[in-house]
Amino acid sequence: MFDKILIANRGEIALRIERACKELGISTVAIHSTADAHAMHVRLADESVCIGPPQAKDSYLNIPAIVAASEITGADAIHPGYGFLAENARFAEILEEHRIAFIGPTAEHVRLMGDKIKAKETAKSLGIPVVPGSDGSVTDFESAKVIAEEIGYPVMVKASAGGGGRGMKLAHFDYELEAALSTARNEARAAFGDDTVYLEKYLATPRHIEVQVLADGNGNAVHLGERDCSLQRRHQKLWEEAPSPALNESERARIGEIVASAMRKLRYRGVGTVEFLYENGEFYFIEMNTRLQVEHTVTEMVTGLDLVIEQIRVASGAPLSIRQEDVRFYGHAIECRINAENPLTFRPSPGTITHFHPPGGLGVRVDSGAYAGYTIPPYYDSLIGKLIVHARNRNECLMRLKRALGEFVVDGIETTIPLFSSLIQEPDIVDGHYDIHWLEDHLAPNGQR
Amino acid sequence: MSKDGGSLDTDLIRELATLLDETGLTEIEIELEGRRFRVARSVNVTAAPVAAAPVVAPVQSDSKRSASSEDAGVHPDALTSPMVGTAYRSPEPGAAMFVEVGSTVTSGQTLLIIEAMKTMNHIPSPKSGKVTAILVEDGQPVEYGEPLIVIE
Repeated sequence: MFDKILIANRGEIALRIERACKELGISTVAIHSTADAHAMHVRLADESVCIGPPQAKDSYLNIPAIVAASEITGADAIHPGYGFLAENARFAEILEEHRIAFIGPTAEHVRLMGDKIKAKETAKSLGIPVVPGSDGSVTDFESAKVIAEEIGYPVMVKASAGGGGRGMKLAHFDYELEAALSTARNEARAAFGDDTVYLEKYLATPRHIEVQVLADGNGNAVHLGERDCSLQRRHQKLWEEAPSPALNESERARIGEIVASAMRKLRYRGVGTVEFLYENGEFYFIEMNTRLQVEHTVTEMVTGLDLVIEQIRVASGAPLSIRQEDVRFYGHAIECRINAENPLTFRPSPGTITHFHPPGGLGVRVDSGAYAGYTIPPYYDSLIGKLIVHARNRNECLMRLKRALGEFVVDGIETTIPLFSSLIQEPDIVDGHYDIHWLEDHLAPNGQR
Repeated sequence: MSKDGGSLDTDLIRELATLLDETGLTEIEIELEGRRFRVARSVNVTAAPVAAAPVVAPVQSDSKRSASSEDAGVHPDALTSPMVGTAYRSPEPGAAMFVEVGSTVTSGQTLLIIEAMKTMNHIPSPKSGKVTAILVEDGQPVEYGEPLIVIE
């Protein structure tokens, strides 16, 4: 096991990792920019090193400074948290060269999953379902028609060189396909000088469901169930829950085993998340995140496992401490991301917190580095904490969440707490009836989309 | 320093004071046979919103830890470290120091080396003048922004 871990991150996740290290009896080194000198993750660490000025590129993304900080403190491992350098393969390689352990997968796996095209090919070869498509360009209507019948309508015609929605045309039925194909090709030629297009199955109202895995790098892997993260705004998740209101036990076991088996074949190491779109009972691979995720907490609540402790253990070379049959799911958990943002316009609201009172009681967890008197620096993301509630079932969980939101006091800045208080009154949310467009559609009438 | 009655145990206090210096701690408090001793030294910590926080600063177990915030207030004009790393005052072990207190330096002259990721970075003098204080020892780890040398 490691003796001393340097945490190459800030905010609530740095604090979260310090907690796991302390429970394992491992010393902690916090790093910080000059803007974070008074942050809670610095105050609660055993040691701290100032590594640079406020801008992330000069501090939390500054690889030489972070390696030098490990060297002067004698840290034998680095935990990257999420964001910043967590999915930087070069960083993982450099640490290897300096004989400092990277608490994450191999650099090779980080790089593989960071490349969207290679990731999709790899997923497919490992038996993970992907969005069906034409596997290459389509030029004539007749072959397009054959492929479309195969993958099923609606289909999207997409420009190979595309982006920003240009060169994308939807065909709901076969009689729309010819027009969609020629329009997409014309738009693609005009916009990109290249009329190569391909076909992909179009998912109209999918949910975002992701599967958590834990693997030891020696061919052992377990899945820890799924999280439903469909409530998003501009691809930013705001509310996550486990289990998904849309899955039953056999669907969970099926997709979980597909993912765990893929990770065994890959000989993956560490925690990881395979993200899917889910529609009409089918899963379609989006991407794999080779790191701890913000919403790992809901999985911890329903499995009773500390994912960061498990992650550190396997990074130190230990085998998995659990088998699939040891994993038990109990109750329901919901996480709300508390951002320093206006709850209607989502405009960032940095400033000083004058009063801070986190909720408490049974089944309530707050992961946050905020405190009364803390000034939120304007240089980093707006997440100031996470409220996680756990109860025996989803109904009790919603009632507990409502209660906890009512207790939460953060004065001096604007937060997303009022948004969650209003969401919890919505019948669709109460019924678990929502997809990835629900939140943006819900906010649209007020002009915040 | 404070005590609760009885005669003054100067040896113990002297010992505590030495310990304070060696460890770089700012305060030590012990209780012995019902008598409490506290030795502390004042530090110039720049005003921070610490009063309302529910925790105290953790005790540092590692003597390697540097304390830039304490020195920054004492030497506001000092040359600060542009990077985190290990400071060396001579080009190689056993060689003469680049500068000593009292040395006259010219702008651009190497004052010390900071090693980061096995790379030796020469730290040049920002101006010509006389070295009035050297705030780091040979081989000492330094943080970003930590005061190194005062030149007047």
